[in-house]
Amino acid sequence: MGGGGGSLGREPKVKRGSFATKRKKKKRVGFVLDMTPLVDIAFLLLTFFMLSTTLTTPQTMEMSVPPETENVEVKQSELLTVLVRDDGQIFKYMGDKNTEKPMKVSVKELRAVSVTENMRMENKLIMSLRISPKVPYDLVIKVLDELNIAETEITQRLSAKGMKRERKFALTPMTPEDVEDLKPL
Amino acid sequence: MGGRIKKKRPGFYLDMTPLVDIAFLLLTFFMFTAKFKSDTENEQKFKITRPVASADTSKLPDKDLATIKIGIDSVTGDTSYYYSLSNETDRKIVYSSDKVQIPDEMRQKVILKVDIKNLEALLRQTRMANIRMRFAIDADKRIAYKWIEDLMEAMRKSNATVFNFVTDRQN
Repeated sequence: MGGGGGSLGREPKVKRGSFATKRKKKKRVGFVLDMTPLVDIAFLLLTFFMLSTTLTTPQTMEMSVPPETENVEVKQSELLTVLVRDDGQIFKYMGDKNTEKPMKVSVKELRAVSVTENMRMENKLIMSLRISPKVPYDLVIKVLDELNIAETEITQRLSAKGMKRERKFALTPMTPEDVEDLKPL
Repeated sequence: MGGRIKKKRPGFYLDMTPLVDIAFLLLTFFMFTAKFKSDTENEQKFKITRPVASADTSKLPDKDLATIKIGIDSVTGDTSYYYSLSNETDRKIVYSSDKVQIPDEMRQKVILKVDIKNLEALLRQTRMANIRMRFAIDADKRIAYKWIEDLMEAMRKSNATVFNFVTDRQN
């Protein structure tokens, strides 16, 4: 800071508040604190913490299984079965499999299927999800995700009608019968 | 070479105060939000690629959490269950239980590599030790559903009927 410039700027200040500024410390002209090392260290730490923080926190998807003692009897007419085969193909059928032929659906269609069937049955529908043990976990989550999205839509639509959503889908083990049924499809 | 060096201008001064202010502000922010690797992650020898799910899911709690990991070992390629607890006090009680059949040197670890039978015993002991415990399943997306199915059966048997699947956010 130039000494001449400093003194020029100070002149009117002293005049303006001559009484009040008496106790104030005079700003030292030409005093410079070299902040470069401070800034260096600050930025070093800043970059370290910026890079070490993970911004993507994992999320969760809640699931529940019925307790062991509970054994729910289901009417066949109220049952929608969704099957996921070894190769990842998804099939669904409503009610009795002897009268209804399993139909192929895609992961994307599953949401619409769940919503329409649940709305048709109005809370009475029970969805049984049977997944083959060989299906990759990735697909399982995709299917569950679609059904969860459908669930929020169903809850919304039912509450618009003044009803409370009660039944959800259940994961049930795949039977050897199911495997046989799916083979020719 | 010497000729190219600029002469330092005498009396030139750049006011760095606002810069320092902002730098320290950001520094404190990142320092407080930084989360360091937990003991569990330090012992873990495998990496889990989580499946993705849509938003509207809740975050994972920090305490009272039991995590069941299903990971594929990066060296041997074996899939196995790994069990860990977030609370140290619960960990001491549960890991030292005689209902769990694991070698004694393993009981000191944070993360346990267990089979399905011991896992069920661990889950049961955990439920007894801390009733508020929440369960999370953190599995690799490549594993077969069989691992999940067996695990869910074990959870049903040990009365841990509510649990969470750990997923990553969809981009």
